[in-house]
Amino acid sequence: MPTLLSFLLLLPLAGAVLQLCCHRLLPRRLLEVCACLAIGLSCLMAILAFVLSRGRTSSFALYQWIRVADFQASISILYDPAAAVMALMVTFVALLIHVYSVAFMAADKDYGRYFCYLNLFVFNMLVIVLAGDLLFLFLGWEGVGFCSYALIGFWYKENANCLAGGKAFILTRIGDVALLIALAIFLASGAGFSLSEVNHAAPALPPGRITLIGFLLLIAAAGKSAQLPLSVWLPDAMAGPTPVSALIHAATMVTAGVYLLIRLFPVLSLSPAAMTAVAAAGALTALYGAASALAQTDIKRVLAYSTISQVGYMVLGVGGGAIDAALFHLLCHACYKALLFLGAGCLIMACNDEHDIRRLGPGLRRRYPLLFWPFLLAIASLAGIPLTAGFFSKGSILAAAFGSQAAFPLLWWLLGSFTAYLTALYSFRLLYLVFFTSDHGKAGKRRPLPLTMTAVLWPLAVLALLGGLINLPLGTDSGWLTGFLQIAEEGRNHRVPELALGLLDALLALGGLGTAHLLFGRGRVREAIPGRALADFCRQGFGLDRLYQLLFAGPYRAVAAFLWQGVDVSLVDALLLLPGRFLSAAGGRCRLWATGRLTTSLHGFLLGVSLMLILVTLKIYGLW
Amino acid sequence: MQALPLLSIMLFLPLCGAPLALILPSRPGFSRALTLVVSGAVLLLAIALLLFYGGENGGALARLTEEARWIPQLGISYRLRLDGISLLLVLLTSLLIFLCVPVSRRSVKQGQAVFHCALLLLESSVIGVFLADDLFLFYLFWELQLLPIFLIIGRWGHEHRLYAAVKFLLFSLAGSFFILAALISLFLLHGRQSGDYTLAFAALRQTAIDPGLANLLFLGLTAGFAVKIPIFPLHTWLPDAHTEAPTAGSVILAGLLLKTGAYGLLRFAVPLFPQAAAANTTLLLVLGLIGLYYASWIAMAQTDMKRLVAYSSIGHMGLVVIGIAVQTRTGLAGAVLQMLNHGITTAALFILVGMLDERFHTRSLEKIGGLWQQIPVFSGFFLFFALSAAGLPGLNNFVSEMLILLPIFATRPLVAGLGLAAMLLTLVYLLRLVRQTLFGPVRSTMQPVDLSLRETCILLPLALLVLFLGLYPGPVLGLLMS
Repeated sequence: MPTLLSFLLLLPLAGAVLQLCCHRLLPRRLLEVCACLAIGLSCLMAILAFVLSRGRTSSFALYQWIRVADFQASISILYDPAAAVMALMVTFVALLIHVYSVAFMAADKDYGRYFCYLNLFVFNMLVIVLAGDLLFLFLGWEGVGFCSYALIGFWYKENANCLAGGKAFILTRIGDVALLIALAIFLASGAGFSLSEVNHAAPALPPGRITLIGFLLLIAAAGKSAQLPLSVWLPDAMAGPTPVSALIHAATMVTAGVYLLIRLFPVLSLSPAAMTAVAAAGALTALYGAASALAQTDIKRVLAYSTISQVGYMVLGVGGGAIDAALFHLLCHACYKALLFLGAGCLIMACNDEHDIRRLGPGLRRRYPLLFWPFLLAIASLAGIPLTAGFFSKGSILAAAFGSQAAFPLLWWLLGSFTAYLTALYSFRLLYLVFFTSDHGKAGKRRPLPLTMTAVLWPLAVLALLGGLINLPLGTDSGWLTGFLQIAEEGRNHRVPELALGLLDALLALGGLGTAHLLFGRGRVREAIPGRALADFCRQGFGLDRLYQLLFAGPYRAVAAFLWQGVDVSLVDALLLLPGRFLSAAGGRCRLWATGRLTTSLHGFLLGVSLMLILVTLKIYGLW
Repeated sequence: MQALPLLSIMLFLPLCGAPLALILPSRPGFSRALTLVVSGAVLLLAIALLLFYGGENGGALARLTEEARWIPQLGISYRLRLDGISLLLVLLTSLLIFLCVPVSRRSVKQGQAVFHCALLLLESSVIGVFLADDLFLFYLFWELQLLPIFLIIGRWGHEHRLYAAVKFLLFSLAGSFFILAALISLFLLHGRQSGDYTLAFAALRQTAIDPGLANLLFLGLTAGFAVKIPIFPLHTWLPDAHTEAPTAGSVILAGLLLKTGAYGLLRFAVPLFPQAAAANTTLLLVLGLIGLYYASWIAMAQTDMKRLVAYSSIGHMGLVVIGIAVQTRTGLAGAVLQMLNHGITTAALFILVGMLDERFHTRSLEKIGGLWQQIPVFSGFFLFFALSAAGLPGLNNFVSEMLILLPIFATRPLVAGLGLAAMLLTLVYLLRLVRQTLFGPVRSTMQPVDLSLRETCILLPLALLVLFLGLYPGPVLGLLMS
């Protein structure tokens, strides 16, 4: 098992190193194959490990990383059921996206750098998934942050892309700092960094510390998972290549925050206050993302806000105490959202870089049926249309929120349910505007799509449709996933009217579909949100960006300039130079006497002699 | 006592080489080759010491101690000793001096013989600072450093080199005055107490001093070392000196001279007055934190790349001060490792900026841009070292920053929290530096060439060290724990 897991982890890294060292030496095709092969083999290892482990947990250390006194961190792996499922998902989605990327990046000469970063990203993501040591986990945690930065700004000639990348890096680092402080608390409490020991030692910690840790973990998750109030980087992250958005900013990295909360759930669940905060952050973010998505016109930004909203659901699930529901939704979301992004990439490529959903059509449905049908399935799953994967996973989260131990469970459930309606509305708004606009408009030039780009959509579409099966209670008390994760059923609230809630979810989703049909059916293009001001407000993500610019970024820059010229140069340096200046000025004065002329010297001599005579006289008469 | 005085050989080899470098001033190649050979030999010797004596956590290093009578009338002896900390710093010294020779291949054109002579002189004096176990010997080497670096900045520096060199010299001399005063007081106190007038470090540690006076002496010593480290607010010489120095000068200043200050603090000031040091922990922590925030914030406003890296240097050294101030094993290990890491990373950044200067004849962030399109290999290295400075895990600085900051939380949670939050400020200015230079549209009309073989060979060992220290710091940490 250790060998298998090490290969699973290290193959993508080896791929990245190969791309870095040999991208000038080897032919392009070979490099592309190597990049895909690294991930493919890694995926194979993940499958093998999944099958062989049969739900057993295995943990081992590769080597001791840092060891000074009681500061001990090791490169270690904790492979438990949650990690097993995540590793499967990450490598599988990554493999599809790598294959897709080969066609997508065909026109780009910088493929070496692209695949290097992409492989490196998968490695770092797997570190997060598999790490059994929190400091090692942090390596992957910051590593994905860097890869995300580098890939958002991949087309670096545009300054805006680099700024978007930097913004993502900085905002996620706010979360990273919070995570580090949480680690410091673990260390100070004697729990060390080992994941299992931390979870084991948590009940013995004082409640105040646990609550503090809970909030810090929430901030950490909010940074990486683009939750309020740190969500503003994700919409801008769409500046990167579309497969990158699919892999990093939809399917994997943004769910890392949720995964962290799942891994440290035994700690988190000890603090009711933190759990309530998590539920609140999730529910509010879900609503915020859905409302903003409703007003977007850029197809990728619709999907970005949709991701924020969907990850909000997962966080709500964690806050509701149901990590199985959160993980279930995470997996389903990864499939359909990756599909949607990859489909969006196809659309954008087909329409010559057009991003505006009002101008993408017409005629796309007939021209690209291979693209349309998977896209439809993914939209249905996102909207939570009954019997798709999204319906079941979202349903289980709402049920968890309804019956949760957090404060105000009904409020979070209401917010979540309303968001479910909005979700269906914006999903079908997207579908209608893109695929159902009337055909008599001016159809721009259309480019043919490479087969690989549409082919990878199909496996994802099947999963988006049928993925719900993995956690359906078919003949047993709970679904397969819940059983696999070995979650104790005792703490669960059994008084949740699941059937009624499910029916309500179905009604909400269909209601959203109906509203979308009324508003946008038959090729109508209009604003989904009544009132121009409100629509603009939602389009700009509630103006958070401008607020942060005004409150933080602007003042920070201004103060930096002031500190330099106003304080460092004019005050600190000037004060330190004062003695020097004084001496040098005094020296300048003295120089006036050193003229070298005989008369000056004689005058000085006479002055000195007379002074001495006066002093001597005074001394003799005892006056001094 | 060894049959062969290895430490003395290491110490005096460059000193003997220095006058030889002056022999053939008309043949600059000779002095260059000589310096390369001598500093290479010192480097090899240091590596050999590491390999043969560094095992079992450096326990065998104590056998290398050397001692000889020198000026018995004043209790001054010639005393050298090597432990894990000084061995690592000596390694850093010999590596950086060795690299300075190829670094200056193009940038130093005139007076190469004198330049290389100064380089060797400097190597001896810095190694002397790290090896000395007698306070007089230490002070001697401490002062000896000033001369060659003053020469290097003032003679081969940029536009305002004389101003910067004189400023550096005056600040250093003022600092040295405090050190000298403290040392003489301690010498007299100890002599009066025990009747044994000596400057041996081990003996002086035993002196019983009343707390008020100890406090004063500790603050005096610290003030002297603080100028070199530098600790806020005594840092203002550094941006000027770094900016005006030639690349080799900046590398030596950042990589070595700042380290001698921190070394003095942790090797002499704290052990000589442990109670006073404990009493002043808060002061040092606060100053370290201020330095970290203040310099990182100011770095954001810089347009001259060298000045930016210089301010980043002050910030990183603030962390070293924090690590020394807490006086725990983790803090100390973190501080020394941070010194090493900072030496490697900052030296690499200065070397990279120097290479840009050779190509574009400017260091202004506003005139350089889009380099990734023109010189990708250079850009890759630049990004790599910037990330290392930003404390990305897996690279060197992360390890030391964690060792310094995380364990403090148990006793001083606020310091730990603020120190960790400063990683944000570091990232902000480094991302700005990277974006302005590497990304965006090409700003200069020049057509630069990518790294030559010589330049790659300079950067590659530093990059490998960054990775090694980041991923497998175990052996180095083991050496530090001895």
